Amino acid sequence: MTFLEALAAGFALVAQWESIFFLSLGVLVGVFAGAIPGMSATMAVALTLPFTFALTPISGILLLLGVYKGGIFGGSIPAILIKTPGTPASSATAMDGYPLAEQGRAGEALSMSLYSSCIADFISNMALILFAAWLASFALNFGPPEMFTLIVFSLTIIAGVSGDSLIKGIVAATLGLILATVGLDFIGGTERLTFGTVELRGGINLVPMLIGLFAIPEIIAYIRNPAAREQRVRALGHAALKWVDFRRSLKSIFRGSAIGVFMGAIPGIGAAPSAFLSYSEARRNSPNRDNFGKGELEGVAAAEAGNNGVAGATLIPLLALGIPGDIITAIIIGAFMIHDLTPGPLLFQNNAQIVYALFLGLMASSVILLVVGSIAIRVFRYIADIPPDLLFPAVMVLCIFGVYAINNSIFDVALMLVMGVVGYIMLIFRFPAAPFLIAFILGPMLENSFRQALLMSRGSPEIFVRGPITILFWCLTILSVVMIIRATLRAARLKREAARSASRLEAQSKT
Amino acid sequence: MKKTLTALTLGAATAALAVPALAEYPTRPIQMIVPFGAGGATDISARALATALNNVVPQPMVVSNRTGAGGATGSVAVRDADGDGYTLLFARVGSHTVNPAMNPNLPYTIDEFRFVGVYEINPVACVVNSNSDFNTIEDLIERVTNDPGSVIFSSAGVGSMPHIGTMMVLDAFGVEDIADAVIHIPTEGDGAALTAVLQGTSDIFCGSASPAVPFVEAGQMRPLLVTSSERLDAMDAPTVAEAGVPELRALVGWTGIAGPADLSDEAAEKWGEWLAEGVQDPEFQRILTSGGSVIELMSPEDSVQFVNDAYETFRAVVVALDLEID
Repeated sequence: MTFLEALAAGFALVAQWESIFFLSLGVLVGVFAGAIPGMSATMAVALTLPFTFALTPISGILLLLGVYKGGIFGGSIPAILIKTPGTPASSATAMDGYPLAEQGRAGEALSMSLYSSCIADFISNMALILFAAWLASFALNFGPPEMFTLIVFSLTIIAGVSGDSLIKGIVAATLGLILATVGLDFIGGTERLTFGTVELRGGINLVPMLIGLFAIPEIIAYIRNPAAREQRVRALGHAALKWVDFRRSLKSIFRGSAIGVFMGAIPGIGAAPSAFLSYSEARRNSPNRDNFGKGELEGVAAAEAGNNGVAGATLIPLLALGIPGDIITAIIIGAFMIHDLTPGPLLFQNNAQIVYALFLGLMASSVILLVVGSIAIRVFRYIADIPPDLLFPAVMVLCIFGVYAINNSIFDVALMLVMGVVGYIMLIFRFPAAPFLIAFILGPMLENSFRQALLMSRGSPEIFVRGPITILFWCLTILSVVMIIRATLRAARLKREAARSASRLEAQSKT
Repeated sequence: MKKTLTALTLGAATAALAVPALAEYPTRPIQMIVPFGAGGATDISARALATALNNVVPQPMVVSNRTGAGGATGSVAVRDADGDGYTLLFARVGSHTVNPAMNPNLPYTIDEFRFVGVYEINPVACVVNSNSDFNTIEDLIERVTNDPGSVIFSSAGVGSMPHIGTMMVLDAFGVEDIADAVIHIPTEGDGAALTAVLQGTSDIFCGSASPAVPFVEAGQMRPLLVTSSERLDAMDAPTVAEAGVPELRALVGWTGIAGPADLSDEAAEKWGEWLAEGVQDPEFQRILTSGGSVIELMSPEDSVQFVNDAYETFRAVVVALDLEID
């Protein structure tokens, strides 16, 4: 089959009401599932899988992809409205999205999140179609040493999301790294910090911890001081996104999409680190740097571009090599196999029409996401108008319900509440939650890739500079650290000078 | 009017009381626990079977995932459940053969379960990168023997099937001091372990054949050995019998249904009947075989025997090679 024939056959497969119906259904299910705290995009895809058994291959796979893409965007809705990331990847969105909602700008934040998601999704899909082979060969060169250096570089994000105090950010990150070691030791198989409990053998679950860290402290703060909340203006969530705001965020959206494509093409990283990396890069380069974390639309745009940019690219290792990049693509591989399709290079030879149908369906999904997303925003933004004394109890119930549903485990609910108290204490002492979370997500990758690399080299550290990729990341790491130190010193100097001139002014006014 | 109401209420109450005593198992929905994540191999197999059984079992089945600690969390939940047949487990080689054999600290033992049917067998395959120098399993054994510490194998984690499986293969071929002869790199799962072979991080993977099939078909990997009794359609590699190590036929993955140890005879018997009918479902057969599994239903008695034998075989290797996790 020639390229054009395959393309035509693919078009015939997609251009049916059935394919478009299942794709739209998938996006719809995904957006709503992603919007439920505790119900991550991964879970939504896994739960949809049994329904695809009876469908035609292309309908089934488009359904799953729709759920995936919808879920990644859907997670940003509760992140913005109630500071409860619907999926781990949308935690970065909450950092600026929730302050915006507090200022009565939820409508703008949601629109920005949607447009940014759709653009990043489209770019990611194009990257998959145009550069799959090239990016796949890159992914193939990404062994444990390369992974380790990438994670070390990614840890420099911590400086970008620490807020006012770098020291407090580092303390929070260290705490996250320590908590990440709980559970069975990956290489040795021994128990670490489990205190003999069965529940902790599997480690601390990410989603309960995430919800505990972000949503519960807000609820505790409200219980302790409801009056502070009443005075704030919230019921203005209907303002449209202004073109100037969108325009100035475009650069961050494109940068975030590129970061997403790159991180998505490498197996085993996922959307959350990508969102944080994109956010911290946007903050570093933005003229509105100081407004990040206090309600900056560009921050929402960057975070959402970072996590949606992963969505198409994560199919690169799957289609080009047949390897799963994350849990979601592992499930999609299962769907391929059930329909007697072999994922990987053979698919292009034996089922080229399916591949092109998939590509066309992916392009359509960006548009469908835009439509379904706008509808969802219209429905969900009324949440911003709910009075807090109704909203907070409802959020609490939703969080407990969602966390319980992940594993049908009361332990997870207890974990969430404990993390909520920890998060509240961090809030009072102004320790940022984001570095804690990033370290917790990256910690296992850091440790495992480090130890795997040393096993490969039989203990010789030379493996960490074994090729151009590792050296590139070491250089980037050194560069970022130097820039962080310079920025910190400059900030300290400015602060000193400001203090000095203030005291001089004071002295002058006295004389 | 009031009289009629009273009569109705009384009648309803009597009926409600009488039904559980008279009716046969099952009178309410059955909870089926998958101790592994949604979308994984066990989950797909479990949901395909549950769908097929919906036409056979008179009550609905609710399949739910309780993941964590390599299947221990879900397994413990079923062990602690009532033996009335309303809470059952999809047990698998990982949770009920490999882990119990390797980990003395596991919070459960296989005696604490009563098996009602093993229905799926997954042969193990050893695969290498197609650029590899190893063309036969003998090439590999030769290298491991002559140059200890030069061969790396990847697994889905400590105490996973590929971990112990590779060790069992090497042991069967007479390699000595296995712990020093090969280097073990644990990864996050079968997919990651195969990725390591594809990248050249690892030299060999010996695990469930299903996830390796696409790589072999695409020519990216070469199979050296399969543990099935006959050659597999998707992988043209010598069987263990051809390679002269027939005892490795015990090295297979499996999936089965189990209840707590005090599961009632009535429930066990019913499940034996239901499974015999359920596995005939063409859609179920298609889903399982397309994933590279072999459908092989065992009666409740045979299942118990099979699981115990598998445990003994694995346990003997663990003791002989000192693979126990402490």
